[in-house]
Amino acid sequence: MKKKLMSVLLAGTMVASLAACGESGSAPAATTSDNTTTEATTETKTDAPADNAQADAGSAEAAGGSFDPVRLLNGKPEINDQMQALAAKYLEETGNTLTVETIGGDTNASDELKKMYQADNMPDIFVIEANQAETWDGMLADLSGEEWTTKTEFALNNASMGTIGFPYTVEATALGYNADLLKQAGVDPATLTSPAAWKEACETLDSKKDELGITAVFGWCAEPANLGWSSGTHVFGQYLDAGLKADDTTYIDLLNDGGKIDEARMKAFAEFIGMMNQYSDPALLVDGTYDNQVAGFKDGKYVFITQGNWCVTSPEDVSFECGFAPYAFEDGINTIIAGPPSYWVAYSEGNVDGAKAFFNWCAGDSAQKILVEDAGLVSPFSDCKYEAVNPFYKSMNSYITSGNFSGWHTMLKKDGLQNVTCQVFADYAKGTLDADKFTSTMAQVISNYYAQ
Amino acid sequence: MGTFSIGRKTFSFASLIIGIVLTIWGLGVAIAKGGPAYSSRGALIVIGVLLFIAGLYYFPTLKYHRAIINLLFLFPLLFAFLVTVIIPLILGIGYSFTDWNGIRLKGFVGFANYARMFKQASFLWSILITFLFVVFNMILVNVVAFLLALLCTSRIKGLGFFRAAYFLPNLIGGIVLGYIWQFIFSNVVTKFTGTYSMLSDTKTAFLAIIIVYIWQYAGYIMLIYITGLNTIPGDVLEASAIDGANPMQTLFNIKIPMIAPTITICTFLTLTSAFKQFDVNLALTNGTGSVPDFLGNYLTNGTEMLALNIYSTAVINNEYSFGEAKAVLFFIILATVSIIQVRISNKKEVEL
Repeated sequence: MKKKLMSVLLAGTMVASLAACGESGSAPAATTSDNTTTEATTETKTDAPADNAQADAGSAEAAGGSFDPVRLLNGKPEINDQMQALAAKYLEETGNTLTVETIGGDTNASDELKKMYQADNMPDIFVIEANQAETWDGMLADLSGEEWTTKTEFALNNASMGTIGFPYTVEATALGYNADLLKQAGVDPATLTSPAAWKEACETLDSKKDELGITAVFGWCAEPANLGWSSGTHVFGQYLDAGLKADDTTYIDLLNDGGKIDEARMKAFAEFIGMMNQYSDPALLVDGTYDNQVAGFKDGKYVFITQGNWCVTSPEDVSFECGFAPYAFEDGINTIIAGPPSYWVAYSEGNVDGAKAFFNWCAGDSAQKILVEDAGLVSPFSDCKYEAVNPFYKSMNSYITSGNFSGWHTMLKKDGLQNVTCQVFADYAKGTLDADKFTSTMAQVISNYYAQ
Repeated sequence: MGTFSIGRKTFSFASLIIGIVLTIWGLGVAIAKGGPAYSSRGALIVIGVLLFIAGLYYFPTLKYHRAIINLLFLFPLLFAFLVTVIIPLILGIGYSFTDWNGIRLKGFVGFANYARMFKQASFLWSILITFLFVVFNMILVNVVAFLLALLCTSRIKGLGFFRAAYFLPNLIGGIVLGYIWQFIFSNVVTKFTGTYSMLSDTKTAFLAIIIVYIWQYAGYIMLIYITGLNTIPGDVLEASAIDGANPMQTLFNIKIPMIAPTITICTFLTLTSAFKQFDVNLALTNGTGSVPDFLGNYLTNGTEMLALNIYSTAVINNEYSFGEAKAVLFFIILATVSIIQVRISNKKEVEL
């Protein structure tokens, strides 16, 4: 009898443990409105406001427009704290709840989103890059006609779904420079709009290396394994966009038409990159890291850096003035690439009204204050009165206001192309290819990649 | 008849029936995503399964009672195996015939994915270097591990320290290890060689992966060899010593034949794990490296092994079904190689 009792008990506990697994697994999907349980990233900070929201939801209704809680999937782990502050502010001002979940570090947000989609656990707002709109075709809400769309030129438009993307930041990439060093060497960055001017500037800077205390002219790193996104996406993007107006899609259209490139333009680009290879720090060029690259620039070891405004975000990081110079591989190129590299979109089967309300609020004064002043982002909205703290902001803004900026069309290339092209940059940097070979190899690998 | 009371019979049948009804109801609303008692579907399923199990336990039979109990105790394991291995395998094979992109399934494409992968030069290259990597590793890891095991079963001082030291790398995850060695290769080794990092050239990067892998895995295999060497009966060794066998003869004629089963296990382990190499590959080179001319193509995935190729096809290039097709091929290769290998080794053991 005792034995029997034991076996029943054991079987019972086993089943109970299984059942417990089943229960917790199904709980998040069961109540999609219950945000506190779906928190994957354990931000205890939001829990408290979320509870409050339920408590004083009544009082909020008076403030105008009460919506169900909205879940936002943030793809920038570095601004997670500021996003939590934004959520708290949103609750305080409108009484509505915003739950921010952050996907961190190297985790690929689009991959995580696919898992969430399969698990029926989609957030209401999530982050996408421009070329991912295709993947979510028909699942994103049309935001056209919303109040914020009149205040920005950076919204993401899609042919089949309308205005789908809310720009939350503007980022720029070009050759970032150290203005103090340039001044010391007597080089005016405004003149760097032709290959000849660049060559001359490089020679001048290179000859004054000791005097300026620099290691090399360029902090340019073509290491492919960890920095492939830099060479394969951002630097390659200069081939696609440099010198073009923001809405000019000539070269990206050519590329997406079966992987064609403009040989003459690529050749000019190759020669420019060749110059960068020549005047770069050999210790950094082939096997450096992002950290070394940025540290070298911050310490004044390099005059130019091949990154964007994200590499130096706080004025305390640098003791000199920063600016952007164009990749002028053809005469007269005077643009930098500027625009939102990624967007927030609203899931059409989620809480669309809540998401729209949040976007309108987010384009407003108090939200922009947090995003610009605390998170260090650059506002895409024309009525934003906050000056970004980013050291590159002044230079960026001068390009944007004078219309000398190109788009981030590099984000529209075929998924994964950067992993192919970055290797060609690396081989060129190593010296196994010359400018002609670089051009022909680039043409070959790109057309092969598109043919697959 | 009459062994079981009416009460027990009714209880058993009633709980079986109610259990089945509740479970189906729960599953039904879960699949239909709505309906009565949608929010408590988890509880429905759990209570249903519990009742069903209770009914099964009290089922009025003497003949099959033991079988039922056995089944109940095996259930958790079988269930977990089904959910984590069998179902994903079947689904995966199914997906490989579609154009699934991770979100939507637009249609079935038959064998198009399979036909396509054999035309993809970069994938063929991945297969080639994976086989090369496996051959190198299977031999080198076993040789190194065996030598270390001999060292650690001899009478040197600080035996415990050496064993722990050799085993320790295996406790560090492959990703961390990859980053540590990446630093070593590009910052420390370059100080001596004065050139670029080993990782920036395909051939040397391949060598680097092999080195790191041996460093990680030899300690683990060593432990198995140590156990094998310790099971050799002392009297056999003693007898050979009395017969005047020198250490070399003891090694080749006594020790190695005696640990043949261990060698089988170790080759098998190194073979399959080398095939599945992923994390070190990802962290160390991420598959980069150029191959100027392979089947007329300029390849940019010089060090990308099969597992990493599958991962990047699915996740980076956003072609989930194509990745699935490659994964199915990977599974077939791995299964075939393993079966052949075990067969051969088993025969050898009998002969010895």
